[in-house]
Amino acid sequence: MSPLLLVGTRKGLFLLRGDESRAEWKLEGPLLPGWEVFHAIRDPRDGALYVAANNWVYGATVQRSDDLGATWERSEGLGLPEDSELKLEKSWHVEPGRDGELYFGAAPGVLFRSDDRGATWEVNRGLLEHPTRERWQPGAGGMCCHSIQLDPSDPNRLYVAISAAGSFRSDDAGETWTPINKDVAADFMPEKYPEVGQCVHKLLLHPGRPERLWQQNHCGVYRSDDRGDTWERLDGNGLPSDFGFGLALDPADPDTAFVIPEISGEQRVTPDGRLGVYRTQDAGASWELVSDGLPEPSWTGVLREGMSFDAESVYVGTQSGSVFAIAGGSRWVEAASHLPHVLSVEAAEWSS
Amino acid sequence: MVLVVLPGVLAAQAGGRKRFEVEAATVDQALRALPIADLLYDERGELRPLVNVFVDGRDVRGDGGVDVPLEGAREVRVVGAVAGG
Repeated sequence: MSPLLLVGTRKGLFLLRGDESRAEWKLEGPLLPGWEVFHAIRDPRDGALYVAANNWVYGATVQRSDDLGATWERSEGLGLPEDSELKLEKSWHVEPGRDGELYFGAAPGVLFRSDDRGATWEVNRGLLEHPTRERWQPGAGGMCCHSIQLDPSDPNRLYVAISAAGSFRSDDAGETWTPINKDVAADFMPEKYPEVGQCVHKLLLHPGRPERLWQQNHCGVYRSDDRGDTWERLDGNGLPSDFGFGLALDPADPDTAFVIPEISGEQRVTPDGRLGVYRTQDAGASWELVSDGLPEPSWTGVLREGMSFDAESVYVGTQSGSVFAIAGGSRWVEAASHLPHVLSVEAAEWSS
Repeated sequence: MVLVVLPGVLAAQAGGRKRFEVEAATVDQALRALPIADLLYDERGELRPLVNVFVDGRDVRGDGGVDVPLEGAREVRVVGAVAGG
């Protein structure tokens, strides 16, 4: 199968169709013009596209297309219950579930579930009314629930990550949530290792070894081998910075991960003017730069949803409107350039 | 009947339709009759703060808001705020 990249930008959604070598790409779009596409994903169960789309005037939406973007259906009645005294702020992430369900993460730090393909959504009360919520605070992008990960080995276990609340695990299908932030730093807090309040930027579970989690945090890169009960910090093993957003895994190898460091939360630019993707193949014990084919100098950044992967490649979308893919093993190819500011990249498949 | 005119981004969300003729006694009733009412109002039923509504060229915020009667009005125009350039 050939790759289909869903590229969310500040000015709509673009589709990038690649050949099997990932060297040649064709661009289509923009779809949903006028909408900021924070995340788009293709549901592998039925091929539907789901988009977390925001408009600064008309609010936060989830949109579905059953015909690859020709027509769209918008979720209706999306919002937070009155007793919460909260209002929906931004749509962030849609995650297909195990059976027929869908999950949707949003600001302010909320999770929804749909059992009717996104027509209607029900807010997760356990997270909405979490006893630690008063200690959560918004990161620079708002208090966003941006990572939703399902354990393929246990139908009752799922994870979310919220900036800046931290990571949470549910072992009872979302009824209750346990903070899993032990040993994860929050350098910006008076207490450096609080129970909650960590600014996790992206959380991923390895599908082949589901007790293993990775996170790129505001304050370091971490790996857990016990479902988040404890974390090992990895950025001191050869990364130029502890800060960054993008994170990708190799689905065939639980020891391989990719990150894109940036200099500090204050500066948020590439170290030494180099767009550097760093790879570990030994579970974070060491890191190597994989930059052959990436532009240099480059001061552009990659956002938390701006990195994706499939069995063959890793994909990166930049704030300067480029999308890069690894073709032929370790060389980067520019799949698209001069797009609007890229907010998200998600890999899917298409039949050429 | 009053004619409601939508900007392009809302028309695209309404199946490509930019103009709607609706039976309504107030601006609020006219807006809630639209298939994109959820984009104009938030979950508390409040008009989103950056949605501007003009009745025959006059901003309703200066004329009593969306509850203002539509008696004799011909056109309700929805305009997204353009603050910031």
